Amino acid sequence: MLPLILKAVVVGGLAGFAFAAGAARMFHAPEYQAMGAFRTLGEMNACRGDPIAHLSFGASFIPVTAIDAVAVGGIGQELWHRTVPNVTAGLLLLKDKDPDRTFKNPKAMAPLGALVGAVGMVFYMTMASAVPAKMATIAQKVMVPAGQAMMDYLMPIIFFLTAIDGGVHTGVASILYGGFAQMVMGNAVPGCVMGILVGKAVEVDGWKRSTWILVTAVTGLFIAVAYFRGFFTTLANLFVAG
Amino acid sequence: MENKQDTHKGIWWHPLTFPVLLAMACAAGFGGTSMQLVHGKGAFGSVVLVQMLNTALESGNFAVLSGYAGGFLFARFLEGPLVGILDIGGSICTGISFGVTGLMLAAGWKSVLTNFPLALLCGGAIGLGLGLVIEAVRKGGGFTTSASAATGMMMGAGNSIGAFFGPLVIVTAIRFSIPAGVGAIVGAALMYAMKKPIVGGAIIGAMILGTLGPIPA
Repeated sequence: MLPLILKAVVVGGLAGFAFAAGAARMFHAPEYQAMGAFRTLGEMNACRGDPIAHLSFGASFIPVTAIDAVAVGGIGQELWHRTVPNVTAGLLLLKDKDPDRTFKNPKAMAPLGALVGAVGMVFYMTMASAVPAKMATIAQKVMVPAGQAMMDYLMPIIFFLTAIDGGVHTGVASILYGGFAQMVMGNAVPGCVMGILVGKAVEVDGWKRSTWILVTAVTGLFIAVAYFRGFFTTLANLFVAG
Repeated sequence: MENKQDTHKGIWWHPLTFPVLLAMACAAGFGGTSMQLVHGKGAFGSVVLVQMLNTALESGNFAVLSGYAGGFLFARFLEGPLVGILDIGGSICTGISFGVTGLMLAAGWKSVLTNFPLALLCGGAIGLGLGLVIEAVRKGGGFTTSASAATGMMMGAGNSIGAFFGPLVIVTAIRFSIPAGVGAIVGAALMYAMKKPIVGGAIIGAMILGTLGPIPA
């Protein structure tokens, strides 16, 4: 247990420090590079510098994060781009109402963010550790077939549909790359993802030099993977008389 | 209104500051995945992403994990320098913590990740390198603008998968055993009534009531 708690403090502190500073820098973008999310920027602005709004918004993600931690152990992303920035901002604002000195100031946000992150990680890891062994076994036995079905069928299908819904460029690219990936890698998802990226690049930017580089790199990558997995040899052998 | 430029002096606004912050964040991301591999908890991922990692570890096929998370990594790091805000969900929580680690696991480098200090160092080095690249790209001009649109689509797909996963867990729980199935149904219904995602309730419900029954062979 102690190693887990120590690791939680280290990970939570590092991440809390970095993401709180990154969130403060969002208010100085794009002159200065920031880390966070546009959604976070909008949410922090919506709290209008009111400490209670920031604190309650950040805290509202604790229950679901705790549930996820108990269910599968992962803590998700909400701790980092919603809870840490807003709880840290709220705590700072309790003492000082000036945004420029508080949540827009990375020097103020970072150390307190480290504390919030560390406390958060320790809390979630403690909750996740409180699960008895038999329950953990059942969770695993229920999740393994679910996970397998998700990887084998659910994800490829949803990605194909998303790409097709996104337009003819992403649709065609994903069908081609996705189908090839399914043959070569055993799963269509990487191909569909590349298809979405390539298709959008062609659709939005047209056939610029950067688009050609992208298409060549992705196609080259897939052919290389196919070659190293012996795909072309297998294919050729199919046509040789048995 | 005081001039913003006057206050942007010192270590917090230095060109190397962002790479250092990104190094810390990526180190933490690798740390979380290391904790997940060793203790079964701590990774910066949702139920879906953690399950993708578990399935990949079980089957030895990391193509889906790396491809899915790698796609986000690629797109967000193209978009980040262009717009000034690096989206940490896609880039660090998904891309670095699951995509890059997935590639390392596929290459057989699991021992690097299970060693906590080594994992932190590794993540930190990768983050520092990427941060320096981002700052260089910002000076030189950004990449394609299609990256944001592509990521939006991928996030939509990810959300759909998350939504489908809830009922999928209910079905698998019922197939596992009756008590687990009942638990999943009740848990999911409770979460639905509270307007929260049902997958967590399904899993915890299955765990709680499933304990009351036997574990089928």
